[in-house]
Amino acid sequence: MSSPISPACARPEPALSRREVMAAGAAGLALAALPSSVQAAAPPALAELIARVTEGAVPERSKITFDIPQLVENGNSVDVAILVESPMTEADHVRWIHVIAEKNPFPDVARFNLTPRSGRADIRATLRLATSQKVAVVAALSGGSYVMADADIVVTLSACIDGG
Amino acid sequence: MSAAGRALAIALLALAGAASAGEIKPGSTFLSAPMQRQQEDEARNPGWLWVEQGEELFSRRDGASPTCVSCHTDPRQGLRGAAARYPQVDAASGKLINLEGRIEQCRVDRQKQPAFGYESQELLGLTAYVASLSKGVPLAVSAEGAAKPFYDTGKAFYERRQGQLNLACTQCHDGLVGQKLRGDTISYGIGTGYPAYRLEWNGLGSLHRRLRACSLGVRATQFDYGSDEYLALELFLAVRAKGLALEAPGLRR
Amino acid sequence: MASFNARITMPAEAKAGEIVEIRVLVRHPMDRGGQVDAEGRIVPRKILNRLTVTYAGEPVFRYDMHTGVSANPFVSFTTRAVETGDLTFEWREDGGATFTRTARLVVT
Repeated sequence: MSSPISPACARPEPALSRREVMAAGAAGLALAALPSSVQAAAPPALAELIARVTEGAVPERSKITFDIPQLVENGNSVDVAILVESPMTEADHVRWIHVIAEKNPFPDVARFNLTPRSGRADIRATLRLATSQKVAVVAALSGGSYVMADADIVVTLSACIDGG
Repeated sequence: MSAAGRALAIALLALAGAASAGEIKPGSTFLSAPMQRQQEDEARNPGWLWVEQGEELFSRRDGASPTCVSCHTDPRQGLRGAAARYPQVDAASGKLINLEGRIEQCRVDRQKQPAFGYESQELLGLTAYVASLSKGVPLAVSAEGAAKPFYDTGKAFYERRQGQLNLACTQCHDGLVGQKLRGDTISYGIGTGYPAYRLEWNGLGSLHRRLRACSLGVRATQFDYGSDEYLALELFLAVRAKGLALEAPGLRR
Repeated sequence: MASFNARITMPAEAKAGEIVEIRVLVRHPMDRGGQVDAEGRIVPRKILNRLTVTYAGEPVFRYDMHTGVSANPFVSFTTRAVETGDLTFEWREDGGATFTRTARLVVT
């Protein structure tokens, strides 16, 4: 039920806290070694979250059209549309599309699992964003590779916040 | 006054009424284009989930007798336009009553059941359902006759400075329409979209819930759901919106 | 008490091989945990965590949801029309409760 990368999910093996991971990285311990191109492309926290989903593989920034408002109406419900270019055949299809919101209390937002019978890799959904942040989508292709896209989102407060 | 004089007076009044209704725009016009489309999309506007619940409750044939549908046998016909005539003065009691109040009155007086209570999911569902039957119908609420004293009270409330911020409704909702207040654009505040699904609430809520948020916004006393103050204000707002279409279930930020 | 309502919007009919868009809107507070209710109590986490759609014998779509999915969530996805039959939608809630709806697709 819980995703492996979510901090709240208790797994039998010791979960590394972010600080430990950063320190370990700095000390050059054997972790999923991220090429410098990915590190330059995304801040360490998001890059790490992505790497956990791809088991260390580097996603290419291609094939995904990620539609999300730059300025959201209300963080409680944000419309996203994700389209991944794919023939969706047995031989070549999108297995899943995973959404990460780097600054949500639970960065793991959702995963859309598809099959060749999907016809298209074409998803719309409503998500929750806690604050202004980067949102990333990662798609796993049947051939074993990954693609990604991300966007910088601003979340504002509405005028009359309901207190009573 | 002569017949010609009366005709002229009526024509002038009609013109004056038309001019003010022409200026006032519904809340949906202050939404972004995608949100306006979503409001009108029954597959997408979450308010319809409450309309569905209301329809289920309304159509029940078992349970409390009489059931809604045993009196209102064909709601699509018989109740179309009904919601556009509220609030109104209840002939029997002389009190001002809104749609929620009328539904509760049926429940308590005719069905002999305990009231659902304001903001209960059942009352929200039924209100959303009955209002949806009048979707698109122009508001036709009277300010005259028995309603006049309530209208005057509502108008006074609307024009009175309130709260720690010492603001009157009219200052924003007439004077500053179209300007920004944090992430929102200030509307005319007429409420034709209620009950509405509000993103801020993660759910559907009544007009009185929205009015309470307004009162909180200016740091004024929040009156009770169904209070005389909000009922009178609701009447004033409905008259202000005369001729504009009921939008329920609305979609708002 | 909240009722479970689901609005499934899809064509009633499609040609074999055609890609059909299915839109799903479901009623659920998706309580993410940690929020405070009107009485000042902390509302525990309780969300729908999975939607599985089955059609013509196998799952064709699965939506794994966490707390970052909105209340009263909307999702739209596509599937190929293969044969006349029911699409079964099953939602699973934290704690194990499930909710099911079906929708028929006639394939010509």
